[in-house]
Amino acid sequence: MIETIYVEEVIKNHPRTKFILKKFKKSRIILIDKYGEIFNKRNQNFRIQKSNPCLILAHKKDGFVLPAPEGFGIGSSKNFYFSHMYNCIYDCRYCFLQGMYSSANYVIFVNFEDFDIAIKKIIEKNVNTKLTFFSGYDCDSLAFENVTGFAKHILSIFKTYTQIEIEFRTKSIQKQPFFSLKPMKNVILAYSLMPELMSNSLDNKAPSISRRISVISELASKGWKIGLRFDPLIHGENWKELYKELLENIYNNISTDCLHSVSFGTLRFPKRMFKDIFKLYPNEPLFTSPLSLNNKMISYNIEIEEEMTSYCKNLSLRYINEDQIFKCSI
Amino acid sequence: MNNLKIKKSSIRLVIALKEEAQVILNYFRLKPVNEKTIYPIYKNEEETHWLIISGIGRSNAAASTAYLYSYSKASIYTSWINIGIAGSDKGNYGDLYLVDKISTYQRKTSTYPSTMPKATLPKMHLFTSDIPISDYTSYELIDMEGSAFFDIASKLTSKEFICLMKVISDGPKNDIKEMTKSKISNLIKVNLFKIIDVVSYYERISEAEFLIIDKPELFNDIKSKWHFSATQSFKLETLLRRIENFCNKKDIEKIIKNCETSSSVINVLNLKIKNNLVNWSKF
Ligand code: SF4
Repeated sequence: MIETIYVEEVIKNHPRTKFILKKFKKSRIILIDKYGEIFNKRNQNFRIQKSNPCLILAHKKDGFVLPAPEGFGIGSSKNFYFSHMYNCIYDCRYCFLQGMYSSANYVIFVNFEDFDIAIKKIIEKNVNTKLTFFSGYDCDSLAFENVTGFAKHILSIFKTYTQIEIEFRTKSIQKQPFFSLKPMKNVILAYSLMPELMSNSLDNKAPSISRRISVISELASKGWKIGLRFDPLIHGENWKELYKELLENIYNNISTDCLHSVSFGTLRFPKRMFKDIFKLYPNEPLFTSPLSLNNKMISYNIEIEEEMTSYCKNLSLRYINEDQIFKCSI
Repeated sequence: MNNLKIKKSSIRLVIALKEEAQVILNYFRLKPVNEKTIYPIYKNEEETHWLIISGIGRSNAAASTAYLYSYSKASIYTSWINIGIAGSDKGNYGDLYLVDKISTYQRKTSTYPSTMPKATLPKMHLFTSDIPISDYTSYELIDMEGSAFFDIASKLTSKEFICLMKVISDGPKNDIKEMTKSKISNLIKVNLFKIIDVVSYYERISEAEFLIIDKPELFNDIKSKWHFSATQSFKLETLLRRIENFCNKKDIEKIIKNCETSSSVINVLNLKIKNNLVNWSKF
């Protein structure tokens, strides 16, 4: 239940604002000038807000599509990302958003059409280049789909540009709009996964791994392209057994023909961000892990990272080809 | 900002008039402090709850909030609460409201206080004016202190620890000129239990924060045995917080027992973390 919704005055009559507000009939609506008045204020307590976040409906002015950070790609020569939303309804303990924003409130930008224009511009500027767009870098791309309808909206562009890839990265078990549409070869539904035991402790409020796998298998059997994102890889007692069980479970339960790509990413926090997140949750089990400062990043040491990545990669190679495997290194 | 280590909740109340404050003073057993102060200040025996009578108007509200902060050595996890009467023609006489938006003549932009989650109390937009307003039609709630209180309190803590509550005392049907001291007291009195309910939420969040920032159990013990620089102290605190999750006090004491310097304490604790294999089935 969202108790309060802040709405920017300029978009109070936008059809999408009205569409979203209809879903929250009991919420208190407060008109504001700019979303930054609420979202960017420094004196906010992220942890307390996270237990009862407000929603902010806003108009995005610029920066609709941005180049993806290096190390984020899955084989294309150019990668871009866009976020129609800031923050997430889940509360993963390793999430970088909790160290990036001072507010845990959700911001939804309702002017989706401006994202369309920006995406098309980039596509037209990069003819003959293999492009991938990533939806939802600053949020989970599908977790709030039943409220925003963004995925459904943005898919229409990629129906026209069938050579351009789009990845929706998610932990949600949201099947729509995909379940009722004909599969599109250039759309990748990418699921973040880790062993259930670790996920139970770290992926707060997110659907369980077994439910995610069952949705993956349903969408794969419908013909949608699936991405598996083991990112971040989490260390701990019996990690090898846990990852073996997870990987085998997935590869044995989904048709590998539908697998677009698999990527492995390591747990990394910029030093400053780690400090902020640690301050928020000093008693979290994740921070009892052997994390230390390496190259201005807080991470497992390189031997652990390499051992975990190559172990999972070797296991995966029994089921998929090497060119389907990527390392996520941001 | 002061950052006192206080385990109990920490509450500061800023109230314009003695008549508004009286029932609250009684309920929390707040007594005047034993010295002459610029504004009348009251506190309880445990010194967890403090109240200041600010007087009317924005300057008084701002000055008294800042004064109470430094006088009572409040922390960043102290909750700040403003309670008072307000005019309105939108709500009912005698009803209590939480404030979630504040505007003034002076500023173009509004400010947006948080309100406690799952509150059953209704919420309203407050307009803080420097002069009494007799035309109630343009605003939901009208007072003379709220915005200044919020502006100063926002500099002392995060907005989740600030609350404004207003009881409707005047409006088109209840002339402000007919307000008496006893009427004011009574308006607060009939809402006392609702007010206490809200205050207790702010007590809980303040207490929870203090527990989180509380130093690890062995921190002071270890610091008394070796000499730690400021940077080392910070490292020690962080390491202890992490280790305490999987290692008991006795084991920690055992592994550092033979250390000769503070650096070797830190090295030993670092090694303990480095070798820890998290048992995820425990969490
Ligand atoms: S699902 Fe992704 S964006 Fe959401 S909290 Fe988890 S890591 Fe963050």
